[in-house]
Amino acid sequence: MAMNLLPVIVLFPITMALILNLLHENEKLVKYLTYILSLILIFLPFIGSFGYYYFGGHGVINGYTTGIAYFYNVGKQVLLLILSFIVSISLITGMGEKFKNNMFVVLTLMGYAGISAIILSDDLFNLYVFFEIVSMVQAGLVFLSGTEESYKAGLRYLLIGVVAGSLMLLGITIIIAITGSLNISDIKYYILDSPLAYVGSILLIIGLAYSSGIPPFHNIKVDLYSRAKGFISAVLQTYSKFIFVALSIIIIKIFSGLSFFSSLKGILIALSVISMVFGTVLAILEDDYKRLLAYSSISHLGFVGIGIALSSPLAILAGIFHAINSVVFKSGLFLSAYIVSNIRGPKLLNLGGLIKYIPFTAFFTLLLIFSAVGVPPFGGYVSKLLLIREIMPQFPEIAGLMILISVGSFVYLMKAFYLIFLAPNKEDYNDIRYPKVAYYSLVILSLLSLILGIFSNIILNKLFTLVKI
Amino acid sequence: MIVMDFQTASFLTAGILIVIGLYGVFFVDNIIKKIIALEILGSGVNLTLISICYNKYIPIKLPNMVNFAQYSAYPLTQALVLTNIVIEASMLAIMLGVSIILYKKYKTLKCSVILKED
Repeated sequence: MAMNLLPVIVLFPITMALILNLLHENEKLVKYLTYILSLILIFLPFIGSFGYYYFGGHGVINGYTTGIAYFYNVGKQVLLLILSFIVSISLITGMGEKFKNNMFVVLTLMGYAGISAIILSDDLFNLYVFFEIVSMVQAGLVFLSGTEESYKAGLRYLLIGVVAGSLMLLGITIIIAITGSLNISDIKYYILDSPLAYVGSILLIIGLAYSSGIPPFHNIKVDLYSRAKGFISAVLQTYSKFIFVALSIIIIKIFSGLSFFSSLKGILIALSVISMVFGTVLAILEDDYKRLLAYSSISHLGFVGIGIALSSPLAILAGIFHAINSVVFKSGLFLSAYIVSNIRGPKLLNLGGLIKYIPFTAFFTLLLIFSAVGVPPFGGYVSKLLLIREIMPQFPEIAGLMILISVGSFVYLMKAFYLIFLAPNKEDYNDIRYPKVAYYSLVILSLLSLILGIFSNIILNKLFTLVKI
Repeated sequence: MIVMDFQTASFLTAGILIVIGLYGVFFVDNIIKKIIALEILGSGVNLTLISICYNKYIPIKLPNMVNFAQYSAYPLTQALVLTNIVIEASMLAIMLGVSIILYKKYKTLKCSVILKED
């Protein structure tokens, strides 16, 4: 029998992170290794074989899974591929900057390992461990900026993080008490309908809300995104969205057969709608480009949340596809924010007239804005259309609200575009200097967003394996 | 006199610890005290994990080990607690480190000063 290399997807980045941590003296070596690593990361999702992987070879005994299990299929492969792509692009962009290079690479790789473990894992406690690792990594990535504000944002994030993590573990404890198992596929069969299970599900939702940044945790997340450098924010929002997708699917999978599931669904939908509305309203009021994008990211998470919370296969599919699209176009927009803030800070009112100096950046930013708003043929259009079509029969008022929110996102993104690129500039720019590699990454991401829209059928077919709950 | 069995008593203790921890995190202004409260909260959760395995509260899902299941506590949660202690320690260490940096800057440990949003 051929060996299943599935755990390598998680173990390889962790090992490389440890090795790179030891090489902190040699900046050049770290740089070259990072270029090679970013290439390897893209091929990493292809090495595992599909199906279950049992650690320690314990396997299933008399119908009960013992030990930690991972599960892999085509849908998870697509998620991991997009994750690898964004992480690689961010790693390469980061190499153009002079700062603590090796710590950036180490933390990003640890984050990659954490997220891929969360996506692959079929074990609740394994998921919790990597959940905590990822929140530490996210705080660490923000600390790298080295400003006092970034320390504050990171500390605030960790303080709330320990509370949310502890409450989530309490939820897991309750599930163990009811079922005696940690394996998600087993729990689904053994869980009993009881008020205790309801409390457990609410505690898991607290963990979900914290890790993805839906209200009431949106402020700490926005602080985190806006205090980090642009390419780091791109990775951070990718991590949050993928955790949200993985965790919410697990919650729906575990509790979908129980009597209180409809009220759980209601809670998830309510949180998503609040997240959508809050994100958009606060983004319209914002005058800082990075914070605006951060709020916009929260509002797109609401779209994803509604799709997954409806818990019909097509709605979940649309939600996941929107998560993938929003990860791509939002990463691109954060990179454009990185280019722009390199010129004269992220405050929108200080900028203006940049289209004369960086016309191509403006063009590709506009393409990404089109994708974010939902203009055909970009990826964002396909996923928003699918979402609204699925929601319309059940909740027509929410579908209407979603269209309104899309108009709102057009307003704030075009406002940002106008103030940065088109508005008359108050004083001339002495020298326009920005990392070229960030520009190329922006181009690649906007083309990827276009490809996701044009070839959406292929990707949706592959993702469909994820939604058979 | 109220007579309580051991498991109920430890659940009660865990509940009290969790409430004290949550109170400390949200209503105490000192950053070090907040971190200590987090530790208390974590201990409460760990105690809950330990207590559910005592006295065969959980169904042990291993039919070929009936003998083992009859005479022992559920071993899984104890392994989980060990892991959780390590995770918690590392989280708290990072937070204490950052608190030192912020203390050097502001010369105070009050959260209302050092974590104030601008």
